[in-house]
Amino acid sequence: MMKKTEHQHVSANHIRMSRNDQWVKILSYVIVGLFGLICLYPLLLTVTVSFTPESVIAADGYRLFPREWTLDTYIYIFAHSGTRILRSYGVTILVTVVGTLGAMLVTCMISYAISLPEMRYRNVVAFICNFTSIFSAGLVPWYVVCVNWYNLRDSIFALIIPAMFSVWNMFLMRTYFKAISISLYDAAKIDGAGHWMIFFRIALPLSKTALLTVGMMYALSFWNDWWHALMFISERNLYPLQYYLYSIVSNVNAISSGRVPSGAAASIRLPAETVKMAVTIITIGPIIFLYPFVQRYFVQGIMMGAVKE
Amino acid sequence: MKAASKKRGFGWEMRHNGTLYIMCVPALLLLLLFAYLPMGGIYMAFTKFNVVDGVFGSPFVGLQNFSYFFSGNPYAVNAIKNTLIINFWGIILGTVLPVSLAIFMNEMKTGLFKKVAQSAMFFPYFLSWVVVGAILYGFLTSSFRMDRRTGELIVTGANGVVNRLLMGLGQQPIRWYAEPVYWKPIIIMLDVWKWAGYNSIIYMAAMAGFDGSLYEAATIDGASRFQQIMHLTIPMLKPNIVILVLMSIGRIFFGDMGMIWGVVGQNSAVLDAVTVIDTYVYTSMRTMGFGFSTAIGLCQSVMGLILIVLANWSAKKINDGEGLF
Repeated sequence: MMKKTEHQHVSANHIRMSRNDQWVKILSYVIVGLFGLICLYPLLLTVTVSFTPESVIAADGYRLFPREWTLDTYIYIFAHSGTRILRSYGVTILVTVVGTLGAMLVTCMISYAISLPEMRYRNVVAFICNFTSIFSAGLVPWYVVCVNWYNLRDSIFALIIPAMFSVWNMFLMRTYFKAISISLYDAAKIDGAGHWMIFFRIALPLSKTALLTVGMMYALSFWNDWWHALMFISERNLYPLQYYLYSIVSNVNAISSGRVPSGAAASIRLPAETVKMAVTIITIGPIIFLYPFVQRYFVQGIMMGAVKE
Repeated sequence: MKAASKKRGFGWEMRHNGTLYIMCVPALLLLLLFAYLPMGGIYMAFTKFNVVDGVFGSPFVGLQNFSYFFSGNPYAVNAIKNTLIINFWGIILGTVLPVSLAIFMNEMKTGLFKKVAQSAMFFPYFLSWVVVGAILYGFLTSSFRMDRRTGELIVTGANGVVNRLLMGLGQQPIRWYAEPVYWKPIIIMLDVWKWAGYNSIIYMAAMAGFDGSLYEAATIDGASRFQQIMHLTIPMLKPNIVILVLMSIGRIFFGDMGMIWGVVGQNSAVLDAVTVIDTYVYTSMRTMGFGFSTAIGLCQSVMGLILIVLANWSAKKINDGEGLF
C-alpha cells in the first residue's frame, strides 16, 4: 500500500508542477508544521519549566528558554515527598504490569476462540461483547455493584479488574488472529494438538506484532488511568501516579480561581509551580522515553482498527 | 460438512469445541460482573434508594425520579446543554482538522520533517487528561492585581504563556481559572487537539488504500493537486468520514468525565460552564441520591442506544450497506 503513494509522488514529479500545485505543497508543509509545533510546544515548555528555578518563574513567568537552569526541583521532590511519589510509582507500575498481562491473557483467549470459523456460537459471543459497548447500565449501578457487592473500595483490585477487558481491543486482536492461515492449525490438529496447544504454540508466537500493539494499548490505558482511583481510592498509599498528580493540580486550580476563602487557601500548602511541572514530567517520563520505539505499534493498531473487515 | 454441522446440536458443539468456550469464560465473566450485573441495578431508577434496604428492598416510586428530572431541573438542563454544545463543536472541528491534516500530510514528501511532524501530532494521544490539565496550567496561570488608586497592573508572581503574550501585546491579562465563559471553548480546543493526530492516522490509513491510477489519470488530464483533493481524495474519504461522524453523533449525549475533571478539577468557579451529563450524574449521586442519578444515567443510555442504532441505519443508507457494527 505504501508503494502506491510513493508511485503517485514519482509520477507527479514527472510533470512539471504548476504554480497552483506548488502552493498546495507549501501550504501543507506550513499547516502540518504549525500543528506539530502546537502539539510539541506544551510538552517542551513543561520540561524546561521543571528545570527552572522557582524565583526565575516568579519573576519572568513561564518561558521556553529560562535564564537559569537547575535540578533543585527534582532534588526537592525526592527529598520531601520522595516516598509518596515512589509509592505512587510503585502502585502505577504494579497496576500496569499485572493489569496488562492479565488483560492480554483474557483478551487473546477470547479473540482466538471467536476468530475460528469452527466455533459455532462465535457470533453469539461477539454480540454479547458488542452489546456492552452500545448499551450500559450507567455509572451509578456500576458503582453500587462494585462497592457494595465486590468491595472494591480502597482495594488495589479496583484499579485492575474493572479495566481488564476491552471489547475494542478484542475485535482488534481477532482481526490479527483471523489473518493466520487455518491450514497451520489443521496441520497441528493432525499431529494431535488441542486448542490450548495451538493457541500457545502457534497463534500467539505468530502474532508478536499484534501482541505488542494490543499490549501497548492496554499498558497505556492502565498507566494513564486515574478515573478508577477517583471512584474507589481514598487511601493515600494506593494513589497511582496520575491520581497523585490530579490531587495536586485540582487543588491548585481551585485556589487560583480565587473562590476558595483565603483561610482555606492558606491551610492548603500550595505546591510550587515548578514542582507541579516536575511531577508531570515524572508521571509521563516513561511514555516520553518509550514513545519513539512504541509509536509505530500504536499507528499500526489504529490502522488495523480503521480498516473494516 | 456444513450441512452436517448444522444438524449437530448444542451438546455436540460443547463436547467438541468446549475448550474454545472455556477460553471465552474469563472475558465473559468480566463482562458479566462489570456490564451485565450492573444492568440489574437499573431498577434503582424506579426506587427511593437507601443503603439499608439495598437495591431491591428500597421503596418503589415508579417514575418519580424521571419526572423530577424532566420537569426542568435547571442543573440537569444545564448539563444536557453543555454536553450537546461541547460535543457538537467537538464533532465539527474534530472532523475538519484531522481530515485536513491527513490530506496535507499526503501532499508531503516522505522524509524526516513529515515523520517528526506526525510523531508530534500523535503525542497528545498518549497523555492523560490529568497531565493535559497540568500542562495547561503553565499556559493559563495568572497572578497579578490592579492597583486600587491608579488602576495600574502589578504582576505578583508567575504568569502563564497566554497572559504573558497578552501583556506583551499591551492587553489586559485574564484570570482564566476564575472566568467561566472561556472554558467551553478551551475544553473543545483541548479535545480536538488531543485527538487530531489519532484521527488523522485513521484517514491516512484509508488514503493509503486509494487507487493510485486514478490520480495518475487525473494528472494526465491536467487536474491540479487542489482539484485532485477536491474531486478525488475528499469524495473517496467520504465513507470513513460518515462512519466516524455518525459514531460520534451516536455518543452525543455522553460527555467525557475524565476530560472535564482532569482539566478543570474541582474548580467550582468554572465547573458550571463545563458540567456534562456524566459529571452531573456523579455529583448528583452524592447530593440527590442513587435513585435519581440512576434515572439520569438510564435516560442517557437509552438515548445513546437509540442514536447509535439510528446512526448505524443511516450509515448503511449513505455508505451502501456498510454500517458501524
